[in-house]
Amino acid sequence: MSRFFISSCFLFLALKGYSQNDTLNPVQIDSVVYTQPYGLRVGADLSKLARTFLNDDYSGFELVGDYRLSQNLYLATELGNEEITRIEELGNENNPSREVLYDYTTSGTYIKIGVDLNTYENWYGMNNTIYLGGRYGLSTHSQTLNSYRIFESNRYWNPDNLQEGSGQLGEFGGLSASWLEFVFGMKAELFANIYLGGSVRLGFLVGNKEADNFPNLWIPGFGKVTEGSNFGVGYNYSVSYLIPLYRRAKKPRDTEVEEP
Amino acid sequence: MLLIIVLLLCSWACEKDDICVDGDTPLLIIRFYDIADTTELKRVPSLRVIGLGQSTVVNTFNDRTATDSIAIPLRISNTNTDFIFIRNSADEEGAETGNIDTLGFNYETREVFISRACGYVVNFDNLAGDLPSDASPWVQNLSIVNPNVQNQSSAHVKIFY
Repeated sequence: MSRFFISSCFLFLALKGYSQNDTLNPVQIDSVVYTQPYGLRVGADLSKLARTFLNDDYSGFELVGDYRLSQNLYLATELGNEEITRIEELGNENNPSREVLYDYTTSGTYIKIGVDLNTYENWYGMNNTIYLGGRYGLSTHSQTLNSYRIFESNRYWNPDNLQEGSGQLGEFGGLSASWLEFVFGMKAELFANIYLGGSVRLGFLVGNKEADNFPNLWIPGFGKVTEGSNFGVGYNYSVSYLIPLYRRAKKPRDTEVEEP
Repeated sequence: MLLIIVLLLCSWACEKDDICVDGDTPLLIIRFYDIADTTELKRVPSLRVIGLGQSTVVNTFNDRTATDSIAIPLRISNTNTDFIFIRNSADEEGAETGNIDTLGFNYETREVFISRACGYVVNFDNLAGDLPSDASPWVQNLSIVNPNVQNQSSAHVKIFY
């Protein structure tokens, strides 16, 4: 009896094996196609809004947008406006008798255009990205010198204060700059179609139109200009909404399906 | 990827210090020459220089020393600065016994942006000097070597006595 039972087990095993072969037919697997949303994602930078509220010397906003071109490639852009007032003081922070050397305001608009390449392999149903990107940035801005003093290390004629200057005060207009930017960032879908994103950026200044007697010390969209270097750093922290325009099937990977 | 993040952090951290080392409002450099041999430097004995209107001596060299080269600060709030040059300066019962000459310098000021840490300094252009007008001056002649005072690498004025 037991021998019969064991034999029948083998029989079922054989049947099972046969039926499995049947379901391996790829036509049947592909009958349900996995599609992903494609569309335009628009949003705003939260960090610049927060900084506007928290910091009296700064106001700015940035709109972010991207459009999905293919599985991993996005057309991306940022559009913004920033105004910042900065004070440059003489000496280091530990010196109690610091003097203001000059005080200026930079104000202007910028646009950045480029692409993002997603490097993150999502699980089924997820639409997150960890991306590397490149941008070309362009700004038009003005710098206003609000006040300044003449630096003079010898204090014989002005023992108490540095002499205040007046000849350069005012607005230096018609300034512009352009730069290339490397972006590393991520975007995660919090709720349906709502994304939270963050990125860090390394800019390289390629064009810089500045005033004769007052260089571009800060550029909207680029940030602080460092002397003797073309590099600048930035970041953003965005929330955005995906306007789904259409869905497209995810191309199956070669390893998933074996040709019959 | 990690390398990029480290580089980014580094470029934040490695920001240049905001300490001004790139330039300064230049001092006027004067060298003293022998009137008999105008190529020969000559030390002025016990030289004292006071800015006209100031109560203290110029703070850029040791007062009442023998020297053939001094650097003195010009006024940036004005386009002329007068100095009292005293040779053989000494006090006798509170009175100056040396030979006192007043020399004036005229110039144009130009504000120049040097760098982020230094901001603006003044350069002096079209420098001209006035000889003393008193009865027995010790300064015999004065010549402007470099009328544009932009740095302190060489003399701007020669004084012959």
